[in-house]
Amino acid sequence: MSTVGSSRQTGALYWPVQLRRNVGVRGLFAVVMAFVVAYGVLFPGLLTGSGFAKFTQSWFPLALVAMAQAILMLTGGISLAIGAMVSLGAVIAATIMTGPLGVAGGAAAVALTGLGIGAATGLIVVKLRLPAIVVTLAGSFIIGGAALLILPRPGGAIPEWLSDLLAGNTPAAFVLLVLIVLLWKLYLATPLGLSLYAAGENPVGAYRSGVPVDGARIAAYAISGLLCTGAGLFVAAQTGSGDPVIGTAFTLNSIAAAVLGGIGFLGGQGTMRGALAGSLLLSLMISVMFFLGFTPVAQYVAQGLIIIGAVAIPQFRKVQQ
Amino acid sequence: MVATAPLLAARGVSKSFFGNPVLRDVSIALQPGRVHALLGENGAGKSTLINLLSGALRPDGGAIEVGGRPVSRMTPAYAQQAGIAVVQQELSLTASLSIAENIGLGAYPRRFGLLDYPELAVRARAACDLVGLHEPLSIPVGHLSLGRRQMVEIAKALYRRPRVLILDEPTSSLSATETKVLTKLLERLRGEGIAILYISHRLNEVMALCQHVTVLKDGTCTADRTLEGTDASGLVRLMVGRDPGDLFPHWQPSASAASAISVRNFSAGLMRDVDLDIRTGEVLGIGGLVGQGQEDLLLGLYGAIPARTASATVNGASGLPAGVPKANALGLAYVPADRKREGLHLIHSIITNLMLPAFARLPALKLRSRRAERETARGLAVQLAIKGDLGRPAQALSGGNQQKVALAKWMPHDPLVLLLNDPTRGVDVETKREIYMMLRNFAAAGKAVVLLSSDTPELVHLCDRVAVVREGHVVAMLECGALSEEAIVSVAMGAEQRRVAS
Repeated sequence: MSTVGSSRQTGALYWPVQLRRNVGVRGLFAVVMAFVVAYGVLFPGLLTGSGFAKFTQSWFPLALVAMAQAILMLTGGISLAIGAMVSLGAVIAATIMTGPLGVAGGAAAVALTGLGIGAATGLIVVKLRLPAIVVTLAGSFIIGGAALLILPRPGGAIPEWLSDLLAGNTPAAFVLLVLIVLLWKLYLATPLGLSLYAAGENPVGAYRSGVPVDGARIAAYAISGLLCTGAGLFVAAQTGSGDPVIGTAFTLNSIAAAVLGGIGFLGGQGTMRGALAGSLLLSLMISVMFFLGFTPVAQYVAQGLIIIGAVAIPQFRKVQQ
Repeated sequence: MVATAPLLAARGVSKSFFGNPVLRDVSIALQPGRVHALLGENGAGKSTLINLLSGALRPDGGAIEVGGRPVSRMTPAYAQQAGIAVVQQELSLTASLSIAENIGLGAYPRRFGLLDYPELAVRARAACDLVGLHEPLSIPVGHLSLGRRQMVEIAKALYRRPRVLILDEPTSSLSATETKVLTKLLERLRGEGIAILYISHRLNEVMALCQHVTVLKDGTCTADRTLEGTDASGLVRLMVGRDPGDLFPHWQPSASAASAISVRNFSAGLMRDVDLDIRTGEVLGIGGLVGQGQEDLLLGLYGAIPARTASATVNGASGLPAGVPKANALGLAYVPADRKREGLHLIHSIITNLMLPAFARLPALKLRSRRAERETARGLAVQLAIKGDLGRPAQALSGGNQQKVALAKWMPHDPLVLLLNDPTRGVDVETKREIYMMLRNFAAAGKAVVLLSSDTPELVHLCDRVAVVREGHVVAMLECGALSEEAIVSVAMGAEQRRVAS
């Protein structure tokens, strides 16, 4: 161990580790690329500035909630309160941003609400050792109720310049997404972030190794909450107002995206890049089917079939080996 | 005695779970430069003592001392700071993280608050070199075999540069080569002044490696002495208070010429082109290094994994069973090695566990007769000496008794062929003796017993013949007269190129 200086060359560890994490999602990436190409052929507008902006904007909130769900699933948890959190974020943004606190105050309120409720949920799940699915189901009623108390019917407003910036003819959504992904990579490069995997897959072993298991899990809930209310702010900017039930569909779609992306229900299995690819695939599927004129019912059925297929194919391959 | 304070010690510690005392007034002192053996049957309290020493549990009474000073609140984090590293029997690894990330877990080097990957690579490489792990550090641990994972676990302990190293049955899943590497390493660490606590059921390892021994029996300390002048049988006496001479029963060959199972060109999982005849009334051993395909052989015969064969006869029927129910109907029973996950349903009562194979045979919609079940279960419990209330969940039993339940549940069906996967792994000496006796009795009663074992002595002393498996092939079939530990190990490791026809 005296040769620390010279063996710095063997230190090329980070990138090989990252490459190995790709192994499980290569097939998914290929499918997503195929869908992107198909989409580009069907709608050549994708390659124009405004087409690209619109495309990423329709994907962005789903990408955020998919990440929010994936973080929790990596710790072995799950959240049924994702949609309610999105709604709450939307109504808080729509009521505060045009008030005396302004856009900055509104954004801060959205962020703090997300972090706070997330951390509180995490505390209850982790410290009281209650099942996450029950706690977040109860939480979805409470949080959804709070959103309705703040804004009983769609209303409020988002400053027009903010709506134009986020949901107008700019690639702001894409830039934000890249930024969030980079922040996630940074978090995963911290000891606490990487501990997520150990805390999810083998909590006893992780605890015995000196990992702050409880801390890692509570932090995951807080980050998840932040991503949800952030998605809510964006949705409010897209619609220009707040709607207390706008997030409802996100709960199940976030689970669908994470599962499509190869995140396992048992904790510690899967990667965030997979979850993001899953959300992109889901988003593409929804748009393609919409443009091809599927009725909403047919869309749902097709969506369900594709998700089961996506989960079953790797399983088939495993059995074949 | 050494005058210096022990690096880590327990003074008169006690611990109870749900009112059941597990440890009573136990003391142990780990001195630098000494390999200290901790012996005891299963359920004697060894694991609890380790958990107290490493801060995973807190004692009800008594004190843990580090460097001679009592520690009031011992936690895993504190233990780690104090240089105490534990290699647990249950692995503490995360399958989806790489080898290096696992080794550093909980003690990552940091730079600017981020994980310092270059530094981690250097230090993890150094730890891996010590244990002879040459796989790339970026491989996810989930891709490694069980034995290699165990080595990662040991490297993880070494990475922390421990002053006290606690190893809980580190060799139970290691191959002979890996065990040798570990033994050399421990000798070296001892020379460097590290205190080592070594738990193993393999007495010859303990005799070769350790200088001092503490023996636990039913939660109390029955011996704390130097190993010098003690032999293996003396150690067993200390653990069970009984002479070990009768560990293996005396038996008469009872094999008949009739074969219970006969396969040609059998392939399943890792196993390729096996020709095998299993005779009624014999105990056929299956030996070899860990993970050469032995388990696939049993599972393939049992119909639990897909298998191919040129021709097969199983208890008179031609062809292999296509699935487990078919195998059961043909009189085959399989007892898995991992009794916690495959053998038993831990949270359910012992009765339910005992009755489970019977449920599969009952008409699906017939009402159950609880009374008949209780009676059958009680009969089985007496037959196999399973102690205690049968209404308790199976997880309340010690490892040895759990194994007996896993075996007993097949008895009502009077199986003709018993496929046993390492039935004595992690089982205490007393239960081992009982199981050995049972196996020979089964054979004497005309059943065929196939005993896959990682414990070479039991292959030698209990089996009529031993098939040694290497790299998915049966490389030798050793007859009773030719059986010795040396013979099995040398064939298993490929030291001998002689091929004995079956």
